[in-house]
Amino acid sequence: MALVDSTNYQDPLDLLRRFIPTPLRTRFRVGDSNVTVETNDFTLLPALPLDTAPADAHPTDIEWKLVRDLDAPGLLEEPLLLSSGNLTVVGMGTACLLGLDHERRELLCFIGPDIDGRTFQEFLVPYFCRLTSQVACAGVPELFPGPSSGGADA
Amino acid sequence: MGDTVTVNFAFNRKTLRLRTDFTIAGSHCLLSTNSHNVLRHATPWQAPERQDDAPSFEMDILENSSLDALSGNLPHFRGARHLVFAMLEPASFLGFDLLRRRVIGVLSSAAVHDRSFWNAQLLPITIGLLGTTLGVAPLHCACLDRNGEGLLLAGVSGAGKSTLSAALAQRGFALLSDDWTYLSFRQSVLSAHGLAAPIKLLPNTARFFPELAKHAPKKTMNGEIAYEVDAARVFRSAVKTSSRPKWILFLERSATPGCHFVPCRGEFTAQFFETNAERLPDELPAAKSTRSQVIASLAACQSWSLRTGDDPHHTAEAIERFFAEV
Repeated sequence: MALVDSTNYQDPLDLLRRFIPTPLRTRFRVGDSNVTVETNDFTLLPALPLDTAPADAHPTDIEWKLVRDLDAPGLLEEPLLLSSGNLTVVGMGTACLLGLDHERRELLCFIGPDIDGRTFQEFLVPYFCRLTSQVACAGVPELFPGPSSGGADA
Repeated sequence: MGDTVTVNFAFNRKTLRLRTDFTIAGSHCLLSTNSHNVLRHATPWQAPERQDDAPSFEMDILENSSLDALSGNLPHFRGARHLVFAMLEPASFLGFDLLRRRVIGVLSSAAVHDRSFWNAQLLPITIGLLGTTLGVAPLHCACLDRNGEGLLLAGVSGAGKSTLSAALAQRGFALLSDDWTYLSFRQSVLSAHGLAAPIKLLPNTARFFPELAKHAPKKTMNGEIAYEVDAARVFRSAVKTSSRPKWILFLERSATPGCHFVPCRGEFTAQFFETNAERLPDELPAAKSTRSQVIASLAACQSWSLRTGDDPHHTAEAIERFFAEV
């Protein structure tokens, strides 16, 4: 990990870690979309084609805020995906929590320290790309067909 | 993780067939669920009449027994901008959208069948997170009521708010909250709200409350080992869910016996609550200003610093005498 500015982040008035600084910022191409990524960890910059056009050449289609969260140890677990209207929330254990606001075009994610670069690039980045493409296509339901949906067993 | 299959929970009219509404902390909740047990937990909060101008939020809850197999290092909370994620014990996963005042969550059957999960975790967390977007400021203080007049007990963690709340509850004060109180300022009226959550007492307070001998301390949501008990049942005290704040005491522990009340200025009160409040993101400017408005109105209450070296029962007695003379 190559963390920037957020080692030993402690703020008793920010228990949710909303204000961990994410000073690294760059732009990528994901399919036809322009993605701006901001993060606090160099290793969380996706291995995707850079968008080298001037910043004002085309607007960002979606923003990814990827926070390396040193206080969320553990490996990825089976993703639980909650989708409702403009909001998609995914939990893969405490090691990866993400929310996607379709209307605001923001993907906000916390990634634990035990998620290595390979897992990030080979699993999480494609996962984020699939979510992003759904937003770009303005499609919400059934993002990832899974073994169960709803709560029919209650 | 390459072969992992996502478990997909869709929240819509088809999956959430049961609906009800209820009022909590002066706010109106529209609850949709697939679970009759979840509906039952909401029943005590259903008011015969709804205030039309009360702000509202939506809560969509799915019960799914597949979560019962999950475990982890819980609870776990994170927030980014207007979104908050919560993983709770028993296994449950929730997302909060503070801009749209919306909660979605999937709960294990163990959580759904546990009434204390609803009262001690889900409702306090929901109001704690959404409150400022609903015009309700969650403030770290206890609240008691006597004859409709509210007494707030503030102070740093460990000052003894819960212990003193229990002692005051035994002297006839009605308990709203021993930890977090939810304050609103609507139509020029300052109100304090409680959620009838259990009172939390550390194991070393058992010497003051023999009633606790029948109970066992357990791990609480923040990881502390403590008693979590129903004040109405254990201390036979009245429990209320709203009051009008009139007095504030800022607790300070002292090594010297005796209780000393020193008046505080409104500026001190405002500064105390502003500087101890959770930081809010720029995406929620209205929430910030609402909270400041509540705190400003709170500063008009009479307030004192209470330095005490006495045990909680003697301190409660001194408070009762003091307010009889004020």
